[in-house]
Amino acid sequence: MAIAAQPQMPRVWRAETKPHKFCPGCGHGIVLKALGEAIDALDIQERTIFGCDIGCSLLSWDFFNLDTVQTHHGRTTPVLVGIKRARPELVVVSYMGDGGAYAIGAQHLVSSASRNDLVTIIVVNNTVYAMTGGQMAPTTLPGQKTETTPYGRDARLTGRPILGPELVAAIAPPGAYVARGSIANIVQLKNFIQKGLQNQLEGRGIAFIEALSSCPTNWHTNAAATWRFVEKEMTAYFPVGELRTPEEKPSGRFQEVPPYES
Amino acid sequence: MSVTFKAITTENGKGLFHLFPALCKGCGLCIEKCPVDTIGWAKQLGAFGTPVVEPGHGKPCIACKKCQLVCPDAAIWIERRDGKGRDTSLTAAPEKHVQHK
Ligand SMILES: Cc1ncc(C[n+]2csc(CCOP(=O)(O)OP(=O)(O)O)c2C)c(N)n1
Ligand code: SF4
Ligand code: SF4
Ligand code: SF4
Ligand SMILES: [Mg+2]
Repeated sequence: MAIAAQPQMPRVWRAETKPHKFCPGCGHGIVLKALGEAIDALDIQERTIFGCDIGCSLLSWDFFNLDTVQTHHGRTTPVLVGIKRARPELVVVSYMGDGGAYAIGAQHLVSSASRNDLVTIIVVNNTVYAMTGGQMAPTTLPGQKTETTPYGRDARLTGRPILGPELVAAIAPPGAYVARGSIANIVQLKNFIQKGLQNQLEGRGIAFIEALSSCPTNWHTNAAATWRFVEKEMTAYFPVGELRTPEEKPSGRFQEVPPYES
Repeated sequence: MSVTFKAITTENGKGLFHLFPALCKGCGLCIEKCPVDTIGWAKQLGAFGTPVVEPGHGKPCIACKKCQLVCPDAAIWIERRDGKGRDTSLTAAPEKHVQHK
């Protein structure tokens, strides 16, 4: 008997909580689709723990059929690293916004990177503090108008946008996996996330993936302008691609210190 | 607990365009990504009381599934009318969609 047409959600998505809580056109839904596909592909649903941060990422607290914890700005990473150390057989995913990861809770990202913690971190870069109404974030582009930069971000006053993956790539020891993807290329983003989960499964080190994402609500953009901002303006400043892969040879100042595995 | 969604199914070109109004938030991201510009606004309303989308506004659908891929709300499923390529999409085939408790 033919099965009535049903939505093609990743298996790990929790269908009864859909439609999800994100706004129309929000990139979070696309990133979480890529993450869901990666979890499905690796067949790790039964042992994956999902952590979300303060910010719009927390709207994903009931998104998956996964044990989920919600913590404070940037603390999602150390909370999940703690879970990983207590239960090394689990796979832990830390899901944060750019504000939580690069400003309000940045110290945790820096510490995890230098320790090469076994955690897969996904940072959704939408260039604003979205949940609180679209204020300037560390990632706001020069000249970009936000609630707190009504005349456009002045880089002389507030600095240049933070390059998260470049920062992590610069301090993480060998074994790290670091990449930047985009909602404009979902298959590539899914592959980056899958490699990031694989890195943790193989015990090689930290995995960090930034996803260029959209926030039409705070950008005040229609669909065409939303895609244009992600694909043209964001991509011009934030290059998409892999920055670190675990195959590289340890060199220079890095001693061979394997990641902590309880 | 399992949950099902009602589809509005429209035949167009090479595709069966299944749209789930309870999921569609009317963001328009799919409209912008369709290579043949066949997607446009429909009369029916979706999750937020805004118009949902339908094919038939441009050239015939080539069943490339780009709209399905970009939809943040999984509100579109493109089925090929020739029945081919069911497993080649980024997302799994419906038979494999297992509901967990
Ligand atoms: C210590 C602290 N400062 C400020 C806030 C207010 N606050 C809540 S969410 C948020 C912005 C989060 O932005 P981001 O991490 O980029 O996530 P987004 O909402 O953009 O996805 C802020 C500033 C807070 N909750 N805690
Ligand atoms: S405010 Fe922006 S980031 Fe938050 S749910 Fe809405 S579109 Fe997404
Ligand atoms: S499958 Fe491709 S051609 Fe058909 S409606 Fe979707 S985007 Fe357009
Ligand atoms: S089908 Fe999806 S992408 Fe298209 S308007 Fe509806 S919610 Fe947006
Ligand atoms: Mg943000």
